[in-house]
Amino acid sequence: MKNSFFNPICLRMALIMIKEIEIDEELYEYNNKIAAVNREKFKAKGVYALNVMGSPGSGKTTLLENILPKLQKQLRIAVIEGDIATQNDALRIQKTGVAAVQINTDGGCHLDAKMIENQLEKLDLDSLDLLIIENVGNLVCPAEFDLGEDLLMVVLSVAEGEDKPLKYPLAFLNAGAAVLTKTDLLPYVDANIDTMKQYITGIHPQIEIFETGKKDGVYHADELIRFIIAQADLKKIR
Amino acid sequence: MHETALMQNLMDAAARALEGRSVTRVNRVTVSIGRFANVLPDAFLFAFEAMTRDGVFKGAKLETEQLPAKIHCPDCGHEYEADGFPIVCPNCKSRNFTIISGEEVYLKCLECEEEG
Repeated sequence: MKNSFFNPICLRMALIMIKEIEIDEELYEYNNKIAAVNREKFKAKGVYALNVMGSPGSGKTTLLENILPKLQKQLRIAVIEGDIATQNDALRIQKTGVAAVQINTDGGCHLDAKMIENQLEKLDLDSLDLLIIENVGNLVCPAEFDLGEDLLMVVLSVAEGEDKPLKYPLAFLNAGAAVLTKTDLLPYVDANIDTMKQYITGIHPQIEIFETGKKDGVYHADELIRFIIAQADLKKIR
Repeated sequence: MHETALMQNLMDAAARALEGRSVTRVNRVTVSIGRFANVLPDAFLFAFEAMTRDGVFKGAKLETEQLPAKIHCPDCGHEYEADGFPIVCPNCKSRNFTIISGEEVYLKCLECEEEG
């Protein structure tokens, strides 16, 4: 056959067309949908969920170790610990007498809603007032992944540098509360706590800011403890 | 490095869109990234290149466009675009705000070579 139109190779080439396939799909949508399911579960059971994020070494676990004994007197609590590896943090929390489970992300830089959904199957939400989720140490990624929490709380130590809020604004934009830890180090580090607060409110004027630190060997976080108890009580009423 | 997780979501969404079609090659992937989405373009591109080494995506180009952050002022009702911090209403100078959009990342479209 001379006519190239009937040549199968030419026919095949002639039929390949350039097409534009419209998709318009939001890439956080999958996570957000599961987060909404988690949020509904917390609401139905009156559990206040707190998502704690901050850099590695900012003092997230130390903060929890110190506030849990006081919170525990008023609230029934469980903790979900997120880390790339090890059970260390869950073990530290369990020593306070609070139930803790550990998620290992095996390299993942943040927790996502699906990981929390999986853990919720193991927890009895009926017997809880407060669920604290300590995210993977990271000042960037956890802010982007809604877990279904009531409050995203960012933890920043004064030793990390006073301009950290300016460098990592989105964590402070998305958080409802910020905790400035290790205030006992202020005399030794090049950071002014008022400047840090100004930077934070410059990004998010409505954010609640708390200070924690040791004084005479005692860890001070009373204002934060009162705030969490009040929020958890409000959630029960609602 | 949540860019890798996002890129995996993108590849999954793209694979779903291509299901049942006879696409032989994807030439271009277009993505819209919100101003406040916290996505590093370089890290996003790195993940894209790592995940498009073979199959129909081999050699595909990633095209990104930025979506502005749209803000609503609860005090005067004005809507405006913000390009960083502090966020201040240009109409009434209020520092109160709600973010309408700008934290999203969209897979917009694929330019493909398709049979038939």
